[in-house]
Amino acid sequence: MDHQIYILVVEDELEVMDALVNDLEQFEKFFPVESANSAEEARNVVNEIYNAGNEVGLILCDHVMPGQNGVDFLIELEKYLDQHSAKKVLVTGQAGLEDTIQAINNAHLDYYIAKPWTKELLEDVVIAQLTNFVMQRHYNPMQFMMILDSVRLSEYMRTNHITDH
Amino acid sequence: MKLNRKQLIGLIIGLIGLIIPFFLSIEGLSYAGHVALGIFFLAAAFWMLEPFPIYATSVLVIFLQILLLSKQGFLFQEDSAAYIPDAYTAFIGTLASPIIILFLGGFVLADAAVKYNLDRNLTRILLSPFGSKPGSILLGLMVVTALLSAFMSNTATTAMMMTVILPIMARIGKTDPLRIGLALSIPFAANIGGITTPIGTPPNAVVLGALSNQGINIPFGEWMILATPLVVIALLFAWILLLKMFKPEASSIEIDMSGKFNTSQNAIILYVAFGLTVLFWVTESLHGIKSAIIALIPVVFLTLTGVVTKEDIRKLPWEVLWLVAGGISLGISMKSTGLAEWIVGSIEWNSFGTISLLIVFAAVAVLMSNFLSNTVTATLLIPLAVSLATSGIAGEGFNLVIVSLVIGVSASLAMMLPISTPPNAIAMSTGTIKTSNMAKAGISIGLFGIVLVVIYALFYWPIILN
Repeated sequence: MDHQIYILVVEDELEVMDALVNDLEQFEKFFPVESANSAEEARNVVNEIYNAGNEVGLILCDHVMPGQNGVDFLIELEKYLDQHSAKKVLVTGQAGLEDTIQAINNAHLDYYIAKPWTKELLEDVVIAQLTNFVMQRHYNPMQFMMILDSVRLSEYMRTNHITDH
Repeated sequence: MKLNRKQLIGLIIGLIGLIIPFFLSIEGLSYAGHVALGIFFLAAAFWMLEPFPIYATSVLVIFLQILLLSKQGFLFQEDSAAYIPDAYTAFIGTLASPIIILFLGGFVLADAAVKYNLDRNLTRILLSPFGSKPGSILLGLMVVTALLSAFMSNTATTAMMMTVILPIMARIGKTDPLRIGLALSIPFAANIGGITTPIGTPPNAVVLGALSNQGINIPFGEWMILATPLVVIALLFAWILLLKMFKPEASSIEIDMSGKFNTSQNAIILYVAFGLTVLFWVTESLHGIKSAIIALIPVVFLTLTGVVTKEDIRKLPWEVLWLVAGGISLGISMKSTGLAEWIVGSIEWNSFGTISLLIVFAAVAVLMSNFLSNTVTATLLIPLAVSLATSGIAGEGFNLVIVSLVIGVSASLAMMLPISTPPNAIAMSTGTIKTSNMAKAGISIGLFGIVLVVIYALFYWPIILN
């Protein structure tokens, strides 16, 4: 695959970051994982990814971080990414109702994972969100059948007029 | 647009192939034949090495024929003794030839069936009598897949059946060979099932298109009578093969297929249109209404009633129609310029004998379509077979219809590699099977298929056709 779809993890606490990246191990082969310790760093990472002709498929983002907080960063990103709608997931224990509403309304938040998470839940969410992403972007579903939700991808192929030749 | 090495080679060979005949003087071949040879080279190189999508090459072929070979083109505005040019309408007309309209009808029906879940609900009903033993479930899945792919595209059928078998596969043991058997059963059954009806898969269209250029019309029902016994045997062989190669460990498996038929007004209109169309198709020899005319029934009724909308029409696989039309169009020139006859005449066919000729065509078709698109395989081989048969060079026993069927059917029996057919690619993408699994089973089916096709060509088809 020349074109890479990244998973971006934004988290200021190193231990938590390590745990998240560890739990995402099985996706690495298909979706390279990039990490950033702050919103500012994440912004640079996003820029680098797009400048190299690749894109971000999924962002897992903490809320409370030094500097810009997670929700504000996601809102900013929503404007920046425009039609490239990367899937956005908050992984936090500390986003209040107000922030969460903000994230849903203005950043098109796709999922909220409350800390502490389980590996199983995290994997399920990543699979579901990335499946949404590749279908929305009309990527060839076959290249993701092994790692993402193969039943939904098959259903997508069934209803999207792929055919013999 | 970036071309890889293979594509670049294809592009260069194609362009050189197009130009070379202009600088040669081949004895026994008219000037128009030279031009057609150039177009044939280009088409073959582009279709095989795919510097461009195959449907794009098809349209290019039609366009080049108009520019270079039609009465309205640059080279042949006047009739001559050597070549009477066709009007350009003959070439663009292939885009609306009866076989294309037949496929259009099939597409509309199939897409509406998917839209209203008819395919899934039929699967649910048809699978229930097969119980829960792995062997019989496998047979049930294959029968249903083949049946659906006779009327829908093999690829869409495979995708739908994947949604049925993936949950089953998740429930059985990771090391149970049944998983591999299941994953292979669907694409194999879909590839084989496509042979059953004229609309089952595009190579069938190429066969029918070539025959209709020769003034031979095979009714829908007759095709089914010709093809179905072969499909049944090939399917049974594939079933036994997969059971033997991948002995199930699980003693019983469950299929959870809940759901019910859509009973909205639109869905019921679709069921009726589907039933009526198929009924009229299979009884064509009784009432004599051509299948392409019947194919307009679903197109008319489903659009009038809004069951199929503008959006649905836009999403039809139009590129497949282009692909088939390009092939039919190429066949026109190969015949009218005398090119096909020349190619055929340049080989000593007499030394072969009918049986070995049939074996050669079957084997070459299976081999080619393992690596190429099935439709392209049929498109490139059938004009040769047609001129071989019509020229009489190969002798009395070499029947035009039979050799075309041999090629068309053999093109669908290639399933050795993930690239052989889109259904194979889908099965492979699940990660359950290794290429070696597919290759071993696929080669067995290919070899068995060649034998089977030749036996039918010698003993069964002549009885039906005469």
